[in-house]
Amino acid sequence: MNKFWKNGDPFVWLTGVALMFSLLMIAGLLWLIMAKGLGFFWPTGVTEIELQNGTKVMGEITSREQIRGISGKSDTKEAKYRTQLKIGNRDLYGLDFRWIDDDQIVSETEPKYAVVMERREWGNFYGFIKEITEDGTVVCQGNEECWSKLEQDIPIYAAIFKEIRKIEKGDIGGINREIENYRLKIRGVELKGGDQTQIKQYEEKIALEEEKYKAKEKELEVLYQEFTKEKIVMLSVDGREKEMALGNVVLAFRPNAMSWLQKAGLYLHRVWGFVSDEPREANTEGGVFPAIFGTIMMVLIMSIVVLPFGVLAALYLSEYAKQGTMVRIVRICVNNLAGVPSIVFGVFAVGFFIYGIGASIDSFFFAESLPNPTFGTGGILWASLTLALLTVPVVIVATEEGLAAVSKEIRHGSLALGATKFETTWKIVIPSAMPAILTGLILAIARATGEVAPLMITGVVKLAPQLPVDGYFPYVHLERKFMHLGFHIYDVGFQSPNVEAAKPMVFTTALLLILIVIVLNLAAIVIRNRLKKKYTTSAV
Amino acid sequence: MTVQTRLKKKETQRASSGIRRRKLVDFIATGVVSTGGIAVILSILAILVFIGIETVPLFQGVKSELSSSFILKESPELSSYSIDTTDDKTFPFIATGLEEYREIGFVITKDGLLTFLSLKDGRTIKQFPLTELENSTITSSFVSVNNKQYSFGTNDGFILPVKTNYKIDFVGDKRTITPEVIQGSLFKVYDAPLDIIAYEESDEEDVSAAAAYTSSGNLVFTALVAPEDDFGSEEPKLLNKELTEQLNGSKVSTIELDRAIENLFVGTENGKIFHWDVSDKENPEFLRAIDATDSPNTAITSLAFLLGDRSLLVGDEAGNVSVWFEVSDSSSPTGEILTRIHQLSPLELPITNITASARDRGFVASDEGGNINLYHATSGQLLKELKTDGPAVKKLSFAPKSNGILAIDDKGKMYDWELDNPHPETNLKTLFGKVWYEGYKKPEYVWQSTGGTDEFEPKLSLTPLAFGTLKGALYALFFAIPISIFGAICVSQFMHPSLRNTIKPIIEIMAALPSVVLGFLAGLWLAPIIEKIIPAVFTVPIVLTLFTLFTVGIWHFVPRGIKGRFKPGSELFILIPVIIIGILVSLWLNGPIENFMFGGNYKEWFYSVLGLQYDQRNSLIVGFAMGFAVIPIIFTISEDALSSVPKHMTAGSLALGANKWQTAIRVILPTASPGIFSAVMIGLGRAIGETMIVLMATGNTPIMDWSLFNGFRALSANIAVEIPEAPHGGTLYRVLFLAALLLFFFTFFINTVAEIVRHRLRKKYGQL
Repeated sequence: MNKFWKNGDPFVWLTGVALMFSLLMIAGLLWLIMAKGLGFFWPTGVTEIELQNGTKVMGEITSREQIRGISGKSDTKEAKYRTQLKIGNRDLYGLDFRWIDDDQIVSETEPKYAVVMERREWGNFYGFIKEITEDGTVVCQGNEECWSKLEQDIPIYAAIFKEIRKIEKGDIGGINREIENYRLKIRGVELKGGDQTQIKQYEEKIALEEEKYKAKEKELEVLYQEFTKEKIVMLSVDGREKEMALGNVVLAFRPNAMSWLQKAGLYLHRVWGFVSDEPREANTEGGVFPAIFGTIMMVLIMSIVVLPFGVLAALYLSEYAKQGTMVRIVRICVNNLAGVPSIVFGVFAVGFFIYGIGASIDSFFFAESLPNPTFGTGGILWASLTLALLTVPVVIVATEEGLAAVSKEIRHGSLALGATKFETTWKIVIPSAMPAILTGLILAIARATGEVAPLMITGVVKLAPQLPVDGYFPYVHLERKFMHLGFHIYDVGFQSPNVEAAKPMVFTTALLLILIVIVLNLAAIVIRNRLKKKYTTSAV
Repeated sequence: MTVQTRLKKKETQRASSGIRRRKLVDFIATGVVSTGGIAVILSILAILVFIGIETVPLFQGVKSELSSSFILKESPELSSYSIDTTDDKTFPFIATGLEEYREIGFVITKDGLLTFLSLKDGRTIKQFPLTELENSTITSSFVSVNNKQYSFGTNDGFILPVKTNYKIDFVGDKRTITPEVIQGSLFKVYDAPLDIIAYEESDEEDVSAAAAYTSSGNLVFTALVAPEDDFGSEEPKLLNKELTEQLNGSKVSTIELDRAIENLFVGTENGKIFHWDVSDKENPEFLRAIDATDSPNTAITSLAFLLGDRSLLVGDEAGNVSVWFEVSDSSSPTGEILTRIHQLSPLELPITNITASARDRGFVASDEGGNINLYHATSGQLLKELKTDGPAVKKLSFAPKSNGILAIDDKGKMYDWELDNPHPETNLKTLFGKVWYEGYKKPEYVWQSTGGTDEFEPKLSLTPLAFGTLKGALYALFFAIPISIFGAICVSQFMHPSLRNTIKPIIEIMAALPSVVLGFLAGLWLAPIIEKIIPAVFTVPIVLTLFTLFTVGIWHFVPRGIKGRFKPGSELFILIPVIIIGILVSLWLNGPIENFMFGGNYKEWFYSVLGLQYDQRNSLIVGFAMGFAVIPIIFTISEDALSSVPKHMTAGSLALGANKWQTAIRVILPTASPGIFSAVMIGLGRAIGETMIVLMATGNTPIMDWSLFNGFRALSANIAVEIPEAPHGGTLYRVLFLAALLLFFFTFFINTVAEIVRHRLRKKYGQL
């Protein structure tokens, strides 16, 4: 026994536990998010459960757990279990989920004709098709007959819906913007002293736009009529009828009747929908396209700002500045800034960018729309600049490392051949340090993508009505608020009214975010390794 | 000149011009890079300066300026009033006030004439005789809270409430203010001249009430109560009650009544405060008399309510000023007792007036020596001292926006001060110390920035937030330090370098995980799970240790031939299934342990035995989630420090017969300990600044206790939550900037220490 302790092996193994535990945690976390995030789109079977009291429940089984007794004592001898069912039909039942004690269950079946419908409102519907009517007359009846009709119609209605959205958001949005523009111009003229003829002109233009608006509205009315022309009558499992417009259905499928291949197809379809669609139902359903777009655009603007300035600062520090105590102190400070909490940068941005610069821009250029702030409130420009400040130390440090790695001989050779310092730096040193600069940029992007706290206070919103880029002059709207993947996670997971139903959505968004961040980091690691190899070979 | 030389010359010219151009470019580039580089670095460093500047106004004192002063009698309309400085009773000006733009003020004279005057030059704008007071003279006055209503007691026992109103019109950018007077209806109190009065109207209950002390020495309480049914058949009831008896011979010097007409306070010449509960208007209940001054010879000269009508401001003959409110006390029949909370720095002579601000907890007090002090009640600070020329300050008024003070001295000179006092409630003590807030039992650290009513006082102590930040960071480190440092020792000392090169990047990836994802998992996934398996959480370390030791025992019996096939360190991967089994066993033990140790319900047990409340989102969850975020940082840096200890030290130790563990713990670890220290510091820095995890995984309640099972509110999360709501330039906004500044200093300091330690370590390794 003494020997057992003496050779130190138990301690070595105990340190091993710590290491393996952290590895397990990482693996577990990634697995958890993958499983929950990817599994969400797989069409799970729909189960019909008959209860002892004779009623029937239908939905997707989501989890099963042991019941703890009322006093909290878990009865170990005869454990009781209960099952959680996603029953959907929020418009009928009010709740999406239901717990059922297992001892209440008489039988479980998977009915072939059970239909799952994703709707534009009220979440999923689980049930059977009764009939489809058009203007009150029955078109088809029964599960089999109506299914083919339904499958045919859904894409047609999707097209109509797209058209409606295009008119509502594009055309009418554009007209509104024009009217607003003229109104602001009138205010601007009034502020300057009020040239009545000019005001008249603008008012005429507004009237013109309003006529256009009326025409579009009529067009919309026609479309809406078409959109709600056909109605589908569904039967829930407990026999209740629910009539809804066919246009309201986004997607319908019969998971119990689908082959593996069909399910895979549907899976891909839903994944694509998640990435490319707009959110529905307070972000808890639909896609995350605006969030992806906002994240990418913010990171792009940030890169455009951070790269030149970071490289400039690094060049100055390692090439131009006189090396000494001062530069060393500055270097330590810059290094430490990377460790300053991101929220501090956010606070700075609120005070300096939004209330400082933004408010002055407003009073100089957008005085006519005051007191409504244009740049004097959070927006994508300010958020990007905040992140640029936050990540500039990363770029500086990485670039300096790269510059330091360029050997002195190369510089001296270039200078000896008569090149000026600038030519040496521009044509010899920077190209050699390019991979390092790139690594710095990628690391900066990876950090910026995952950052949420400073964005929350500088311009991210839960639902942005418009993307920061559109077809209206000046095309890129830097003052607009935007959506962001990281904030989407926080908002849907913690601020939405129906957290339980939104959870899978959050997992999927988290997965997407993690994938982006990890891919970026891996890219940085690969480039760094290449860089190291390059220098080890060039030194020979 | 030959062609050749000419060509050559041209060439050299061209060459030299080329060189000149290149030199110019080089010169410009140097300029651009230098200025650009310096500008970037300076602007990064300017962040600190900017945040600092935003917080400076919090600590700046009050600025005051005498905008104008004039002698009232010099105005032709007021020249008929004579001022006799020897006799108090004849002083003609009985009340004064001003409107919110501080353009127009007014004085009311004893004969019932209200004169509006321009505060710029004392010119009379308009005069209104108070028609209701035609046949009587004013003997006393009372200013109701918020300086909105003035009431006057007369020599024939009536009270007249008077309000001023200001119509404001804008023509373009020009503002014109038209003053108006609204006289209330006369209110009969007693059949004798009223020397001292208090009068209030309660909007909610349709009650108006007055308390008065007459020249005949009677204290009366009169209330006019509207009938309870709405038919209007009955007349309002006039209730009259004499309270003289309870005074027990004391002479009244001042009276104060609250706006809800529930509490009546009477100050006497022998230094007592008499307290009646007047919520039942028919039967005012005498509660008690309190000695409010240091000696019975010191009279109470002034009483006033602070905004909200709960705190009583008391001024006495000796010049003392104090703040009182009711604090719960079991010995008192009502359960509460009026207690002196703040004793403020005194004035020199008897207090003549106390007037509270209508916006915050500030108030002004004046004395007979012409001094005027501006105080803040909650923080107990003296904000500003002003002085008039005349020996005594007779009348005092606080501007409605608390941005000015109007005073009349006993020579009839009027003073109009402008105040710039944006953040009266903050100083180092209120931001970091314990403060006794109104309604609290004792001084406490409180963060409560917003409340339901206008009278709510923001409580901005940063201490509970800083405490929360530290609590979260420490629990995270408790979890992260053992795992990451043992892990680093294992990887650097007991593992083959090739394994090390694969494990390290994996753990580094962990550092890149967005904290919002960790926070979400902790709050929505982990917290409900942990809640169910608390006993298992605490058994896991024990079970894992036992299992590992058992595995080591078995490993001893594995033949050497098989052992040799493992790369050094790779045998530790056996532990993965062992850990999984260990965790499963702990989960399986969860129920039995809970039944056995905690009587079947750990939450109840915690509550009844340890007195701990269990919140689902608590510090334990934050510890796990933030620990997860910190582990890779500590791991990477300490692994670097451990593996760069020169190899000859390991070799020497092993050659002298020490085993691997002894070498690692007694030789390598002490050498690398500065590196590990700096790793922990950097981890601490990250944990302090982390926002999303603490925001999502705790309940964000600003409480101060060390319990593992409840939440906290951290500085960073607090900023994220509150800054969108904080009005630009307001106190909360600046306090949040101060919080950011604190975070900045915390982390900057910690990182700098870590950096210096690491730098020294590198030097040391060079010498070994």
